[in-house]
Amino acid sequence: MMRCGQALNAALHEIFERDERVYLLGEDLLDPYGGAFKISQGLSTKWPERVLPTPVSEASIFGITAGLALRGYRPILEIMFGDFVTLGLDQVVNGIAKFRAMFDDRVTVPLVVRTPMGARRGYGPTHSQSLEKLLIGVPGITVVTPSECHDLGAMLTEAVADDEPVFFVENKVMYGRPNRRPEGGRIGELACHEGEGRYPALTFSGNGFGPSDATIVTYGGMLPVALDAATELILEHEVFTEVVALGRILPLDLEPVLDSLGRTGSLVSLEEGTLTGGVGAELAARVQAEAWSALDGPVLRVATRDGIVPSARSLEDEALPGVEDVVAAVTAVGTRVGG
Amino acid sequence: MVLTREDANSESALLAEWLVDDRTEVRKGQPICVVETSKASIEIEASGDGTLVQLVVAETEVELGSSIGLIAQSDADLEAAKARLEHAAPAPATDAGPRNVTRKAAERAAELGVDVSLIDKPGFVTAEDVEAFAAAAVRSEAGGPAETDVLLDGLSMENVTLPAIFFAAKDAGVGALDEAFLAQLRADPAAFGALSSEERCEAYRSHGAVIGEGVVLGAGTAIVAPRVVLADGVEIGAHSIVRCEEVFAAGEIAWTGESLKLTCRRAFIGAGTWIAANVQVGGGGHRDPWATFVIGELGFMGGEAFVNVCRPVVIGREAFLTMRSVLLTHNIGHSVLEGFENRFAGVVLEDRAQIGVGAVVYAGCRIGRESIVVSNSYVVSDVHEGTLAGGVPARTIGKASRAPSSARQVELAKRIVDELEVMLRLSGIETAPLANGVRGFELTGAEGPGRVAFVETLGKGATVPNGAGETVVLTLDAAGDAPPGCAVLDLLGRRVEGEGGVLLDSVREFCRKRGIRFDPGPWRYGRGLV
Repeated sequence: MMRCGQALNAALHEIFERDERVYLLGEDLLDPYGGAFKISQGLSTKWPERVLPTPVSEASIFGITAGLALRGYRPILEIMFGDFVTLGLDQVVNGIAKFRAMFDDRVTVPLVVRTPMGARRGYGPTHSQSLEKLLIGVPGITVVTPSECHDLGAMLTEAVADDEPVFFVENKVMYGRPNRRPEGGRIGELACHEGEGRYPALTFSGNGFGPSDATIVTYGGMLPVALDAATELILEHEVFTEVVALGRILPLDLEPVLDSLGRTGSLVSLEEGTLTGGVGAELAARVQAEAWSALDGPVLRVATRDGIVPSARSLEDEALPGVEDVVAAVTAVGTRVGG
Repeated sequence: MVLTREDANSESALLAEWLVDDRTEVRKGQPICVVETSKASIEIEASGDGTLVQLVVAETEVELGSSIGLIAQSDADLEAAKARLEHAAPAPATDAGPRNVTRKAAERAAELGVDVSLIDKPGFVTAEDVEAFAAAAVRSEAGGPAETDVLLDGLSMENVTLPAIFFAAKDAGVGALDEAFLAQLRADPAAFGALSSEERCEAYRSHGAVIGEGVVLGAGTAIVAPRVVLADGVEIGAHSIVRCEEVFAAGEIAWTGESLKLTCRRAFIGAGTWIAANVQVGGGGHRDPWATFVIGELGFMGGEAFVNVCRPVVIGREAFLTMRSVLLTHNIGHSVLEGFENRFAGVVLEDRAQIGVGAVVYAGCRIGRESIVVSNSYVVSDVHEGTLAGGVPARTIGKASRAPSSARQVELAKRIVDELEVMLRLSGIETAPLANGVRGFELTGAEGPGRVAFVETLGKGATVPNGAGETVVLTLDAAGDAPPGCAVLDLLGRRVEGEGGVLLDSVREFCRKRGIRFDPGPWRYGRGLV
């Protein structure tokens, strides 16, 4: 089974092979190094003129990437750590996200920003963050959040083909993990239903999508935590939940969440970003407005504690959401009425 | 081979992948594994020629400075390496295979002496699965179902309210016809069907059947069964064919439309059940020992519904089997020994379950209490209690109902009263609002006097209208005594208190069509106003 990093690398090779408008920009991309996490390995050898190593200046390379996109290219920008996206946000907020509307639909900015977010490698406060919450506050971009169970190659290919600017948020722990795909509608013991569209959500169930106690909504690198929690709840307590792994968080893909909520009546959000003003907050607000009567109780959020991500492993573990936090939240949202 | 520092800011690295199999020959400089650190993923090269012995499995985090493998340069080295591996390394396979048995299931399996590996099921094995497996094993070890089990074939009656007529008529002897009469019936049912309804009822009665008051047998209809039990007011539609190998029994005012075709070993039709025209109960295997058909009280079967009975079909109280829906208890196919499915199993609809128009429920399925199967679905697995299921094959879509707020319940109840008044007016019956702002109306024309009121909470302080004629009070909370001279319909408790006449029947009938059926169950509503 391919690891997630290998799957992304293979997809990049295919994308480069198929479309000569595709360029790759970023820091330390050239072989033999091939990018900090090796996702870009081999590209500079095969297509030296289309892999553009850049200075360590995110603000400028976001701008150059935008320029390429405006001129009809399909550039991919690799930002070495998701934390560094902040350095280029002015280009995103005041340019990339707005050009299409400001120029009355006469231009598009079809670029892809690939970047790894996430902790659990002991990299400390400035290399471990999950900053998707900053991105979902920017109207005009698309934020795609593949997990280790998504078809990573297909999603990246769709992102490059997308006419909108796409942030393709990867996760650094995911790179080394196998890209597990559903076989016969299952991944392991869990039934897995893949949704529709470019960036489909995956919905998991331990009881063949029968009635369950809660829906755990998550994305990206938190999926294995959610699946471990769901499995523990079944094995230890015979409590069944569904897990929804969103493939796109901006615009927020609400339909699979509402679909699952119809079978569960309770919602727990799980994200690796810090709690306040996060993806879970947006999700909770949207769900209560759209499906109040489907909710048996309040939506609970599980997220990283507000504050820094410490370097020390033990402290990092305390700050980040784990299986036990998800189990506690599901237990807290309670047993369904009549369920 | 020791994992060395590859960048400045890591104390450990992920051994992502071995590029060379364990115990294979490597040459110095050959890449043997991939290691990931914070900023880099690096191939580690063999430090010399020899046989690689892996000390760490792939996808584990390795501390810098620790050994990940050995390169054995002689047989002696290899033996030493193996020995070191056996001593040092913990057994790598601590979790052998996927763990899919819940803790409760494991405990239950130990109690019941069940080998969980024999439970053939995708996904997780729960305590319920273990219990079902154990129960099935007991049945098959006993050499088939016990004799007492034949009637319902061991199906669980949880959430199923069996009709009173089932208990009244299931025992041998009840309503048994004498042999000669039965032989005559079997020989020429058409001749018997040509008699008047009264003549046929009297003939059954005088030959041993239990036939209540006011039973009506439609033109041409003959019931051919060794035992016949018909409670008061049962009507069987014209041109019906009823052939039971053991017993045919129907509860008070059970009603069937014309051209009912019912063939099975035993049939029990609950009191107040309504069966539309052209319904067929039977099909293949209707003489099988387990061919029992039971439909609970206040049941409903829509036109052209088809129920195959070669194993028990048990339908609970107030369940709906709507028009053209199909329940199957077996399939016809090729040999099971060649791997084709060949199934014989009962079907259970728990109380208040609803099967949509044209839906099909396959052998062995159980439709949970108060669940709904949407029209044209094909059900191949159990539908859980309270769920809305649909599709081909059917899947859970959501909940079958959502609890309305109490404020909403008040609004809905008021609307029922208002709609009843509108319907009466449109039927030419004069009404007027009640005094004192009480929601409801009174009959002011020839049908009166009488009144219908909605009083949210009955009891102390409640204003309840009264006067000559009938008073029917609908309420959401019947706590306290019913006011004298009133008939009270408790809409949430679904109970009727007090006596009434035409007006009470009218309101009951109107509520029935809005899904509110009351206890005591079957009642005469033919004399209502609507």
